[in-house]
Amino acid sequence: MQRRQTWLPYALILAALLLLALHEAGALGPLDDLITYATAPLERGFSRFIYQVGDLFKTVQDVRRLRAEVERLQRENDALRVENIRLQEQYVSENEQLRAMLDFREANPTYTLIGADIVERGCEIYPCASVVGEDTNPYLSYLIINVGSKDGIAVGMPVVSSGAVMVGRIARVTPHLAFVQLVNDPTSRVAAILQRSRVTGIVAGREDGSLVMTEILPDETVEVGDVAVTSGLGGLLPKGLLLGQVESVTYRESALFQEVKLRPQLDFRRLDVVVVITNFQPEPLEELQQSGEP
Amino acid sequence: MSSLYFGIPILLVGSVLQSVWLERAHYTFGRPDLVLLLVVTWSVIRGAEEGALWGFTGGLLMDVLSGSPPGMWASSLALVGFVTGQPWGQALGSTVLRLAMMSALGTLLGHSAFIALMLILGYPVDLPAAYAEIVGPAMLLNFLLSPFAFRFLVWFHHRQRQAAR
Repeated sequence: MQRRQTWLPYALILAALLLLALHEAGALGPLDDLITYATAPLERGFSRFIYQVGDLFKTVQDVRRLRAEVERLQRENDALRVENIRLQEQYVSENEQLRAMLDFREANPTYTLIGADIVERGCEIYPCASVVGEDTNPYLSYLIINVGSKDGIAVGMPVVSSGAVMVGRIARVTPHLAFVQLVNDPTSRVAAILQRSRVTGIVAGREDGSLVMTEILPDETVEVGDVAVTSGLGGLLPKGLLLGQVESVTYRESALFQEVKLRPQLDFRRLDVVVVITNFQPEPLEELQQSGEP
Repeated sequence: MSSLYFGIPILLVGSVLQSVWLERAHYTFGRPDLVLLLVVTWSVIRGAEEGALWGFTGGLLMDVLSGSPPGMWASSLALVGFVTGQPWGQALGSTVLRLAMMSALGTLLGHSAFIALMLILGYPVDLPAAYAEIVGPAMLLNFLLSPFAFRFLVWFHHRQRQAAR
């Protein structure tokens, strides 16, 4: 009896490694779909369970009235800061638009032009998701939220919070849950621009959870306190989403680029609710290639 | 195999608690690995085969709650269950002492295997920080919590034995 079963541990370890290898080779697609379909009812219960257990711990936390009050004030402060930055961004953009209009008017003096404000845009109701848990992989910065493909969520969609603060991108979706790769994840890369100096670079996460902006040329001037927002370059993310504020600038003679440490605008560990932007259309690759041609 | 009838619900609750509660606690003082602890405890009580089975099952549940590729936790925890349930562990002394030492050893082994897989797959891992901030505190916490896990699972072990008679 004992002899007959000795192969089992080896078989299990091999099966797990095979699963990993198949996933990496992209051969798990149809099987993944089948598993997702078969486990959907279990997952629904699982999701509800996660939500309820999460709620239980949240209730315990809510009892700590003083802490909640500090958090509320902190959030209010963050929201006001975000609003301030958003208005600044809007002002710069509006200024550019007005200058372009003025140029157009000067170039076309025979036209009769009437100014108008945009009074309404085709607003979409974005899925609002609660953060139900964190990834069980402690070496990655992911969040689990309680919306999934049933709610129209797809991989790559941007996730924001507190107005226009970039939280991350959808990395994996199941019918009822989605995994958000936070901007401070070590594998995250976001094209960014500094609001005041208009210096461009890449905002990346580090293994310790910090946020840095890299690929800034040595002759560029970066000021502490400047704000990094998404540049929209590459077409994968909307422009103007807030990433963080410049905390310090590092440049070594031997390095090709300057490195800027950013202070995130949000404490990702304390997020409760996030919003997924579902109607953002990434720019097709062909158009980007064409626009890049001289 | 029959231990999975109650093993799956226990491991399911363990993985959910790990995700919604313990992964958030690690920012302040490190966090224990609940599923890993259950796997080590069961393998010390019941041996390498059942340990590997619980490790594989618990690992799959952990993989479901992770954005990383499936199979990473399953292979790491199956290995932990297999190693910590080996008969040579009995030379370490009484069951409680053996369990405490195996919990620390299993944590080190499980995380090392997991980190190795991450590095092989191209994920960046800051090794000194990972061992100092995640693996080290987890070894200590799992070591301290092992008697509680033992008392909890040994009850199921006895119940199952009685039912089998």
